[in-house]
Amino acid sequence: MIGESRWVQWASHLILGGASAVILLPLLWVLRTSFADKVVAYQIPPDLFFAPTLDNYREVLLRFDFGSFFLNSLIVAMATTLIALMLGALAAYAIDRFRTGGPVMPLAILATQMMPPIVLVIPFFLIFKQVGLADTHVGLIITYLTFNLPYVVWLMMSFFKRVPRELDEAALIDGAGPFGVFWRIVLPAALPGIGAAGVLSFVLCWNEFLFALMLTGQQTKTLPVAISSLVTQQGTAIGAVCASTMLAIAPMVLVYFAIRKLLVAGLSLGAVKG
Amino acid sequence: MTLVAATAGITPRRHRNLAQYIFVAPTVIVLALVVAAPLIYSIYLSFQEYIITYGMGDFAGLGNYIAVLSDDFANVSWVTLKLTALCVAIEFIVAFGLALLLNQPHLPGRSFYLLVLMIPVLMTPVAVALMFRLMFNPTLGIVNWLIGLAGIPPQGWFGDPNLALGTVVFVDVWHETSLMLLMLYAGLKAMPSEPVEAARIDGASRLQILLYVTWPLMKPVIMVTLLIRMIAALKSYDLIYMLTQGGPGKATETISFYAYRLGFRFLDIGQAAAVSFILLIVVTILTLVLLRTMREA
Repeated sequence: MIGESRWVQWASHLILGGASAVILLPLLWVLRTSFADKVVAYQIPPDLFFAPTLDNYREVLLRFDFGSFFLNSLIVAMATTLIALMLGALAAYAIDRFRTGGPVMPLAILATQMMPPIVLVIPFFLIFKQVGLADTHVGLIITYLTFNLPYVVWLMMSFFKRVPRELDEAALIDGAGPFGVFWRIVLPAALPGIGAAGVLSFVLCWNEFLFALMLTGQQTKTLPVAISSLVTQQGTAIGAVCASTMLAIAPMVLVYFAIRKLLVAGLSLGAVKG
Repeated sequence: MTLVAATAGITPRRHRNLAQYIFVAPTVIVLALVVAAPLIYSIYLSFQEYIITYGMGDFAGLGNYIAVLSDDFANVSWVTLKLTALCVAIEFIVAFGLALLLNQPHLPGRSFYLLVLMIPVLMTPVAVALMFRLMFNPTLGIVNWLIGLAGIPPQGWFGDPNLALGTVVFVDVWHETSLMLLMLYAGLKAMPSEPVEAARIDGASRLQILLYVTWPLMKPVIMVTLLIRMIAALKSYDLIYMLTQGGPGKATETISFYAYRLGFRFLDIGQAAAVSFILLIVVTILTLVLLRTMREA
């Protein structure tokens, strides 16, 4: 018996270690190349021991102005997430507690999430040109609400389900109004869930590509669009591409380290049990 | 006394009735404006002759639909289906296997594995695609150099029509398996532990426990995970745009990318809207079919 379980342990570590290597090695390779100078970056066979340089990061930040694209991504993701959380939490609470809108409502929310972005990008492109919302933060925030708001409502519904109804009833008997119950009793109890929903929604916005590609210009380009345009402009500026890729990933990975437990909890409740 | 209690009970209930609609109203209004209105406009566009450079033309009837269906549609549907089926199947098998391994009771290093295996979830597809474009570059990439060490001749990973779709699937698996793993692992953790314990005490083997205890208990989670991933895969656009632009030829062109090409390269908004609307119908039908089989199972 002991022999068998030891064998299983070894095999598990072999497989999990292998999978981890498949994830880590490409990332480490890009990280390594982001510190390589122009000559080293193009060398095949590759040079593994070279003097690292920050030239690529300098070029990306100073010459290509990635700071402002970074800021665009941050503004749009933060604003969308805040709006989605404020509207979505209220709606999710009503749908969970009062079945507002009947059985159709959760289905309608789910249906909006099925919508392929290409379906909406075409009309948005035309409308935004007409009303002057093309290449503005507000325009991009509007389009991001199309997928973020239903996502947040969906996640929050399952979080509120976990807050016992007795809490609501006790507060009602104590004379609190419906909004008071929501604001002072249920919301604080669901705070970890709101945190998880907020982070997940932020990540979704930060990484979005199609809307940003079609609806932003020089003023409001987000990071993914800026990186993609770097490729077409520069052919194969390997070092700069690697540095900008690292700049796009780094904040998300940092966020992730901070909220790992929330993320697992958020998905186990929201996406799966929803 | 009863009268007082009854009236006292009525007022808050009425408040609640009104309040619930006020709570839901902002979300419903916003979604009507940003999702329903553009969707209806897009359906209208799909029945119009509308080329950006010439402006809005005549009513086209089913003209746009007939044009796109008789043109490339069979090919892009086939590519989209192949891509979706391959990605979802491979990602599910890998993710479920890893989730089972991660969920073993005594596993030193679990948090390290989880930490690493979750990283791709956080990456924008653009970054993932660029990373692999560099590594799979035919002359400057490390992959061709590595296989060269093993004596295999260099390959055109994205340029060879026989390889391109497979390479795209590989990149998608690298990127998207994490999300499935996260959902399945969360589902396994939320599963009650007593049935597995009981089966183990009764002397069931690992395989028996997996087939007769874990699998039936996990079925709802598995179905939802597959559904979510399938819907996302049917819409594939980002990776295609960044990796191959649908090429070589049309070997990796998905329905989403086809709609994009018609609308924003050929500037034919009417036809692009028609393709995108067909995609929406396909996604809806497949979702309904899958939901029905879920309910039966």
